[in-house]
Amino acid sequence: MSLLSAHKLEVKRGENTLLSGLDFSLQPGRILVVLGPNGVGKSSLLLALAGILPIQGEVLLSGKALKQYPRPDLAREIAWQGSLPPTEFGLSVDQRLNLAMDNGLVVGGEDELRRCCKALDVASLRTRMLGELSTGERQRVELAAVMLRDVPIWLLDEPTAHLDLRHQVAWLSIMRSQADAGRGILVVLHDVQQAFSVADDVVLLHGGGRVSFGAKGALLVPEVLEDLYGTRLLQLQGGDGQGVLVPAYEGGGDEAA
Amino acid sequence: MSESRKWLLAAGLVALAVWLSLAIGGQWINPFVPTSELDERILWELRWPRLVIAFAVGGMLALAGAWFQVLLGNALAEPYVLGVAGSAAVGAVSSLMLFPGSGLGMSAGAFIGAWIGIAAVLSFSYLGPARLLLAGIVLAAFWGALLALLLALLPEQRLGLALSWMMGDLSTSPIHEGGLLFVWGVALACGLALSRSLDAMLLGEMHATALGVDVRRLRIRLLFLASAVTAVAVTAAGTIGFVGLIVPHLMRLLFGSLHRVVLPASAVGGGVLLMLADTGARSMISPAELPVGVITALIGVPVFLWLLLRRA
Repeated sequence: MSLLSAHKLEVKRGENTLLSGLDFSLQPGRILVVLGPNGVGKSSLLLALAGILPIQGEVLLSGKALKQYPRPDLAREIAWQGSLPPTEFGLSVDQRLNLAMDNGLVVGGEDELRRCCKALDVASLRTRMLGELSTGERQRVELAAVMLRDVPIWLLDEPTAHLDLRHQVAWLSIMRSQADAGRGILVVLHDVQQAFSVADDVVLLHGGGRVSFGAKGALLVPEVLEDLYGTRLLQLQGGDGQGVLVPAYEGGGDEAA
Repeated sequence: MSESRKWLLAAGLVALAVWLSLAIGGQWINPFVPTSELDERILWELRWPRLVIAFAVGGMLALAGAWFQVLLGNALAEPYVLGVAGSAAVGAVSSLMLFPGSGLGMSAGAFIGAWIGIAAVLSFSYLGPARLLLAGIVLAAFWGALLALLLALLPEQRLGLALSWMMGDLSTSPIHEGGLLFVWGVALACGLALSRSLDAMLLGEMHATALGVDVRRLRIRLLFLASAVTAVAVTAAGTIGFVGLIVPHLMRLLFGSLHRVVLPASAVGGGVLLMLADTGARSMISPAELPVGVITALIGVPVFLWLLLRRA
């Protein structure tokens, strides 16, 4: 049975209908990547699935309507990562992480905390204040907080944003191993290459209400992506024999010609 | 410093503050060895009730400040930010105009005025934090204008009474000091019951929701709780600035931001601060008294500016 499935899902923000008629399903052990240009409702889709924005259409969570879940029960099924929390009130990294554990009912205790901090390379930051950290470090703290939430579904909104290359690579491999352990992960990405490397299934939001859902092989192809982003893509041959898609940057001098 | 040593130190400071507030005044009386029956009566019939009033009011203001700061997602919020003090003052001065010479009438007017102010704010509670804050500030300006109008119309001989009420007056309270202490306790207990949700709110509304907090319900509860406590404090003692703003900040600096610690620390710390400020207010130019709001503002403004500079 799928963890999360949607039928004719519609997401609004205020009076604005961002997307409608979306069907998809998220299976345990699989990574579903959401791609689309700015402003088509990728983040709003995640907020709606996390119960933060109102939702229309049918969404089933483990076979039961999402709307029927009381708020605390929903938090036991779904973890959400999105905007960085404010630094206004002087939380330390440790306190921030403990908030994820308290309310998400993950009881792995100190061992689990240490393991997640090590995985995200934030062990040395634990006594620091959130406000003293760089944006990339704060992002890693958020990812550690998600990792502490031992729930079946992760909704991740651009988890690799702000991260340096090494930590981007590390996070992609963490997502893979977490999915292999049975979690269902729905993740918004902007980097086509990262999508290639982790996706099992793909949702494309084209804007203007157009949506598509399918397997990676069918949707992550140059023609579809060129149409999605409205930009030309070049297929290069990578060193390991795999194809690499890069945008065709124009006006960049002789080589572009 | 370890956690338990901090608390031990805090308990010692509270005891010292209570002892000082009993001892200091027009004349020095050691509470352990009163020398005459008059001394005993000064201690237990004048200074002790007043000290309890100051403690409860200060604690309530600090609690309300901590709640408003979370509710509005703004560390610079304080209990009067949404105009509750302004509407209470309008109520008190209206009553002074209609029923001159009735101290109880002024308190009743303040209480009714505070709740009118709360009702006005509650009707905006569906707005997000930023716009709720704006609505509150505009309402506060409205009450301020109304207050200025009333003061201009008030007969001159009653002006002094109105002004001293507006600067805070702990010498008498229309609510019995035991009752105030009870409200203080209930408020703290309600706050502690919500402390986990309040902690989650420090991450912002979206994160709090994702962690299982019903944010809409929490906001309405908080707005009601904080406003009700402010209304009781204003009724008991008039408007006393800066306690509600400064104390939660100091407690966060000392003990961290988690509410199961910040709330009790604020409830006690605010109480002690106002108790000491009031002791100063009634002793410095004895037998005359300074309005306690003058002392809290004189201490509060520099501390506040120091906090602002530290943050920048």
